[in-house]
Amino acid sequence: MKFYVNARYLIVPFMSLIAIAGILIGGSFAWVGVALFGLNTIIDTLTKNIHLPADFDETGESYGIKGFQYAVMFLMLPVFIVLQLVLAYRIFQYTSLTPIETAAFLGVSYEVGTSGFNLIGATLSSGLWAGLGIIYGHELSHNKKEGFLVSRLIMALSGASHFTYAHVYNHHLDLGHEDDAATAPRGRNIYAHAWLSHMGQSRFSYNLEEQRLSKRGSSALNFDNRWILGYLYSLPSIVLFVWAGGLVGVAALFTVWVVANFLLEALNFMGHYGLIRTEGPVEHRHSWDNDSVFTSWFFIEIGRQCDHHVRGETYFWELDDVEGPNYGIGYFSLFVLTLIPPLFRVYVQKHLDNWDEKYASRDEKVIAAQFS
Amino acid sequence: MLNLFKPRSADFKVSLSDTETTFTVKRGESLLSSALSAGIKWPFKCKVGSCGSCKCQLIDGKIKAQLDFGYVLDMSEIQDGYILACQSILRSDIRVSVHLTK
Repeated sequence: MKFYVNARYLIVPFMSLIAIAGILIGGSFAWVGVALFGLNTIIDTLTKNIHLPADFDETGESYGIKGFQYAVMFLMLPVFIVLQLVLAYRIFQYTSLTPIETAAFLGVSYEVGTSGFNLIGATLSSGLWAGLGIIYGHELSHNKKEGFLVSRLIMALSGASHFTYAHVYNHHLDLGHEDDAATAPRGRNIYAHAWLSHMGQSRFSYNLEEQRLSKRGSSALNFDNRWILGYLYSLPSIVLFVWAGGLVGVAALFTVWVVANFLLEALNFMGHYGLIRTEGPVEHRHSWDNDSVFTSWFFIEIGRQCDHHVRGETYFWELDDVEGPNYGIGYFSLFVLTLIPPLFRVYVQKHLDNWDEKYASRDEKVIAAQFS
Repeated sequence: MLNLFKPRSADFKVSLSDTETTFTVKRGESLLSSALSAGIKWPFKCKVGSCGSCKCQLIDGKIKAQLDFGYVLDMSEIQDGYILACQSILRSDIRVSVHLTK
């Protein structure tokens, strides 16, 4: 049982390595990361009706091995760094006009040089899998000291180091309020939300630092400012891509960051779209659960938002179904719907109606009525 | 991660200064989660170090802060020994003062 519970969360590490291998092998394999994303959407849709509870032994202890899960999460930092390095390597070959020819290494043939088309595939693959860094960045943002720094570094690879502070000090505190940039109000589409949430969280992080430093009598403009420091953590990526390909490198890194941040904000969007909280503590009803089996395992239970927001200190492998609001489908399937806003609005309406009727408090119903 | 290789320390005892109440905090557990497990009506809201509801005053003993308290507590509070129970891991037996919920 211990093996099963711990191994099931290794889908992303395993697939990230495949995406990296695809970029290294080159040619059409550069698109493997994109293809995997498509494959995952199919698996997620086919298994949407399978929901499994968290696993505990007869004494109520979790089967999750903390040391192992932390080692995996920490090791994902170098994996995401390698993902950027292999993309930079391909960009360098493209911009230095390296001839496209086949070679072999340890019996595995690979393509030296790359076409523009396959470089696009490598860039999109990198963006999609770098975006999944959010699941580790998120978990580690709640888990102390060294984990917090690793979270910041993982997010910095996507130019989003501000997330770690904004998530803890804004999102968890102000969930469901207008003050929470990461909560999408009813009627907003994912494209607008991605921009507004990203900028809102970054602004919050800056203000938080300004406040903290002013308590100490310091100016916001210094290297103790963790908002500034967070963006400086992204500097090595910028230097790498400028060195590897000049403007092409910058365009590729920009694409990676846009794709990665779009995925991050898509998770925020799906986790709380249209939900409202008035005064009082955060309760299960203020989040949407996405706990179909593939989503749970792939996204290391980040979809168990209802439980997570009430027990923010709880490790992901201990989060459970708390019978909160549930979309009934996994993140991959729902993500496809969010990309087509009219379709998403139709799909989500019945769930919002159900929330208004069964979950909302009296004051929350009053606010909800203003949206209809 | 280096913490994984440190030797296991014993459980620690917490005494609430205004009452006779004591409880035990297991290795690696936060002050708040142990208090709640012991049935103590410790005030809390977010449990992730962002709201400040679980703050208490450390009278005696050592803790390790898991997050920077400076975002939630004032400098004067930090100087007076205030800590966030949800973000405090014990390093010794401690005595604290806290306004329990009724």
